[in-house]
Amino acid sequence: MTVVIGFEGSANKIGVGIIRDGEVLSNPRRTYITPPGQGFLPSDTARHHRGVILTVLKEALEEAGIKPDDIDCVAYTKGPGMGAPLVTVALVARTVAQLWAKPLLGVNHCIGHIEMGRLITQANNPTVLYVSGGNTQVIAYSERRYRIFGETIDIAVGNCLDRFARVIKISNDPSPGYNIEQMAKRGKQYVELPYTVKGMDVSFSGILSYIEVTFRSVCFLQETLFSMLVEITERAMAHCGSQEVLIVGGVGCNIRLQEMMGVMCKERGAKLFATDERFCIDNGAMIAQAGWEMFRSGQVTELSDSWITQRYRTDEVEVTWRD
Amino acid sequence: MAVPGEENNHKQGKLEFALDVPFPSTREASIAFKSLIPDREPRKGGISKEITVSDSTLSVRWRADETRILRVSVGSFMDHLTLVMETMEAFGPPVPV
Repeated sequence: MTVVIGFEGSANKIGVGIIRDGEVLSNPRRTYITPPGQGFLPSDTARHHRGVILTVLKEALEEAGIKPDDIDCVAYTKGPGMGAPLVTVALVARTVAQLWAKPLLGVNHCIGHIEMGRLITQANNPTVLYVSGGNTQVIAYSERRYRIFGETIDIAVGNCLDRFARVIKISNDPSPGYNIEQMAKRGKQYVELPYTVKGMDVSFSGILSYIEVTFRSVCFLQETLFSMLVEITERAMAHCGSQEVLIVGGVGCNIRLQEMMGVMCKERGAKLFATDERFCIDNGAMIAQAGWEMFRSGQVTELSDSWITQRYRTDEVEVTWRD
Repeated sequence: MAVPGEENNHKQGKLEFALDVPFPSTREASIAFKSLIPDREPRKGGISKEITVSDSTLSVRWRADETRILRVSVGSFMDHLTLVMETMEAFGPPVPV
């Protein structure tokens, strides 16, 4: 029996989750929500996380009915993400790991999403579309690495949506993406936007500039952005001969994206996997799950190596827990 | 003790700040030290920070050229130190090893 506690706070969500052999025992989370028209800045976000992290940690232990002694490993997000919030979370993880005399494990945030998606959906070996406010990558596993087949060459798709939400000043509660999705349901007219797929990759900053200047309505924005994501996912599937797609990351909550991806999958006779907002959106349990896999395959992070990093490529990690 | 926490930016700054933090025990000072040293200072010329631990006292020495840079670094460190101490308060004492 292996119990891992995971700490996540690389963006505006702070979460602590506990996993025991594939079972999520607890997964509390708080979100730093800014007023309409404003994004979240690193130092303010870190301040928010500092204010609540110990409370969330206590909740995680109580909900799970776990004592520190029961824990086998303390996992935390090493990166990528925003510097100040990452440090905040790492400080607490390092401190409790020492207080409880437990090994520490620095986890790649993207891999946290992937491993949680695999656990919840039981997808076998899917092509993964990882889409969030901070990341947009198409990933497939091959020979001990999560290889990046395609990605954004500038900003993440979620970043494009969030920044447009700021321009039109809609609420950031519960998240700007969720509110854009609700508004888009009322859209009746498709307006053509620049379509910027670049081979295996995508670009979003040009579309953002275009809609900031020309349009105030958001209904059609999703259609263009998501079509581009479906295209590069399909291209990766064709390369890999894959019959499964797994969508992870906060933008993966979007039902319209799931619908559009579902249409492409159906045409190819492939299966689509997605999770709900508990696990799509950044959370502590996903870090615990990746930590569980890494720990069981013999990995550990020495305290002196436990520095956080804002840039951390998904394919930098040796995936020692898969063949 | 040696200086693992030292930044090699600029040891000649004209402004200095010294901080000595007492802990209830050598072990707790060591825990705080090991939690606080791994992360690199956000890259900025004109500031150097040296963290050391001796028995149950954690010491930090800063040298900087400008007050603004010094203030940001010290303020940031105080936030981090406070968080570590609050964590130790809430989840300590350290288990016997």
